[in-house]
Amino acid sequence: MECDVVVIGCGPAGSSFARIAAQQGLEVVVVDKRKEIGVPVRCGEALGVSEPAKEGLSIPKYAISLEVEGAKLISPSGHAVYWKGEETRGYVLERKFFDKWLGELAAQKGAKIMAYTHAVDIIKEGGKVVGVKASHGGREPFEIRAKVIVSAEGMEALIARKMGFKSYHPLHEVDTCYEYEMAPYEHENVIELYFGNKIAPRGYVWIFPKANKKANVGIGIGGNVINAKKWGGTEGADPKKLLDEFIEKNEQLREASTFLDFGGVISVGEPLKELVRDNCMVIGTAAKQVDPIHGGGIALAMEAGVMAANYAEEAVKKGPSALKKYEKEWWERKGQQLKRRHLLRKVMERLGDDDLDYIFQQLNHEALLNIMNNNFAPVAMKVIAGRPSLLKVLGALMG
Amino acid sequence: MITIKHEGCILCVGCSAVCPVNAIELKGTRMEHYAEKCIDCALCVKACPANVIKMVKKDGV
Repeated sequence: MECDVVVIGCGPAGSSFARIAAQQGLEVVVVDKRKEIGVPVRCGEALGVSEPAKEGLSIPKYAISLEVEGAKLISPSGHAVYWKGEETRGYVLERKFFDKWLGELAAQKGAKIMAYTHAVDIIKEGGKVVGVKASHGGREPFEIRAKVIVSAEGMEALIARKMGFKSYHPLHEVDTCYEYEMAPYEHENVIELYFGNKIAPRGYVWIFPKANKKANVGIGIGGNVINAKKWGGTEGADPKKLLDEFIEKNEQLREASTFLDFGGVISVGEPLKELVRDNCMVIGTAAKQVDPIHGGGIALAMEAGVMAANYAEEAVKKGPSALKKYEKEWWERKGQQLKRRHLLRKVMERLGDDDLDYIFQQLNHEALLNIMNNNFAPVAMKVIAGRPSLLKVLGALMG
Repeated sequence: MITIKHEGCILCVGCSAVCPVNAIELKGTRMEHYAEKCIDCALCVKACPANVIKMVKKDGV
């Protein structure tokens, strides 16, 4: 099989790339290892209301489970901060419909999407990657040859690694997550985030309300900081056990049913510096293009996919050197912002529950908006003024 | 070395994401462990959200 571009992975990054590249008239093949695009769901499913409009898209109603007004952040001792405003409106998606819809858009533009087709190896000739070997449902692999190879593989990033990208995730750069879909849950039309080193060390528990009194309830915890043996668990971090403990303490969830039971790991490491190697590219979570504060990557993936695809036609027609423009543009437009988020994450990891509680009490709408816009200094200054002992930790945020 | 309890595995591929030597890969509908590549670092054990990967002593020694 031959084409202009082969894309590995049909999540938000891969299908966004495929849509734009196919629109330019390129022959695009997308392979995805999953039997059904969008299944299993791998995340909390939240997306800001303004995000799809950036790509000129309007999400169909069936892919949106619920529109929420904002967020409720709960400190370790139970102090709740509500955050609602025009900027905080968001969708809780039905990811399996959302991902499939994005794929359908790409297919309508002429991309060929192949489910249950796992890219297992690269084809290299004369030191150059000329395609991938893919296996349909574990059968004998076949060749897909292409001028440009795009990894949109998410966390696994097997092909990205084989192409030479630094997509390996050290343990301190991942959060390990577990989630349930539960019902019934009476919500307040906001997403709920629970913080605390006992509840979710180096992460948080989320409750994302969905239609019909359902909720996506999950936990993400630092991959390296926990030794579950301490609380009589086994040697792994065991997010499921911590999530079960949280649910047991929640009056509503304790009685609720579960409809989905799943887990995974998510990158909280810095994005890859190198996003392009000759005719190979990496986009989305495979490039660690994930917000390290909340672990969200849907919007970033779609944006990177579109950005990269804008240079695909030139690369196919004139040679791969055009692809480097994606790397430059991404780092200018998104990379520097994400680096600031990493700084914040590193600081947050050093805070104990007592300090977290104090900081939560200083938060208001304006402060949260500043944090979201990477303007940390005003909040840091206010906190340090009230609790000078935090200067050492929060000082890094003053610049 | 490690063992994977496949019945409880949810195929999230978290283990392969954190494996520094590509010693665990998804093959069909099962995580395959390549013992000859494995360096016994136990990162996969820590990352596994389903807690189905364990360290065991070689040959019961």
